[in-house]
Amino acid sequence: MGKTRKLAAMALLTAIALTIFVIENQIPAPVPIPGVKLGLANIVTLVTMALFSRRDAGVVLLVRILMGAMFAGSPSTLLFSAAGGALAYAMMCLTIGLFPEKQLWVVSALAGLAHNAGQLLACVLVVKTPGVLAYAPILAASGVITGVFTGLAAMYLLRALRKTRI
Amino acid sequence: MKKKSWIWVLVFAVIVLAGVAATVGIARGGGVVAVITVDGQVVERIDLTKVRESRDIVIETAYGSNTVHVEPGAISVTEADCPDHICVLMGRLTTDGGMPIICMPHRLMIEIEDDGLDG
Repeated sequence: MGKTRKLAAMALLTAIALTIFVIENQIPAPVPIPGVKLGLANIVTLVTMALFSRRDAGVVLLVRILMGAMFAGSPSTLLFSAAGGALAYAMMCLTIGLFPEKQLWVVSALAGLAHNAGQLLACVLVVKTPGVLAYAPILAASGVITGVFTGLAAMYLLRALRKTRI
Repeated sequence: MKKKSWIWVLVFAVIVLAGVAATVGIARGGGVVAVITVDGQVVERIDLTKVRESRDIVIETAYGSNTVHVEPGAISVTEADCPDHICVLMGRLTTDGGMPIICMPHRLMIEIEDDGLDG
């Protein structure tokens, strides 16, 4: 792939991730548990990593988080999405080489788990009360469920994208 | 590879089930004293069994304002000027238990403790 083509693809992926992130933020929380959300923007991080590289996925993620906070949120949104995003990204980098593309959903579930662990740690630091950890089990469960979901979505998207040969 | 997939399905199923079970367990642990903290500092301790009449406490801090509704045996957040209102949606925390109420933007948290003693 040529340099210009890749630049265009990266810009497009970032724009898509940002759009998903902003729209998802507008949707009221499905369950009244802090930190539980679908995390649909992670589909893009996963797809970028599978199509290009870990580094490129990191760039898309970083730009999305910074711009996402500018468009949609408060400083606390930035802190939580950054803490969650960083851990999820680290987990993806570590595990994406270990599984074939058919099992990308496993990578995504592990990343979802890491994402919620990061958010919870940020929450403990902010609220400064260990009682927040009462949410650890439910956040672990929801991280796995949403991770599997976004992972499957990323797999279908990859399959479709490969056919178009971007 | 198929075999490996099944192992992961199993691992994740266990995590989800254990997570839900543990949460149910945590939510069932009741108590008597509601403790309101902001930024890790205790703002108010209320013995819910001694509440005779419902009242509202407005907690105003540098982060924002939350209206806490205290009634006999229960406590809840009824109003908040935060963007997400998750604390309001979390409903009531009673002497029979429930999950701690958290308002992250305002660094506010309400927990139920076992007894009236400190600690």
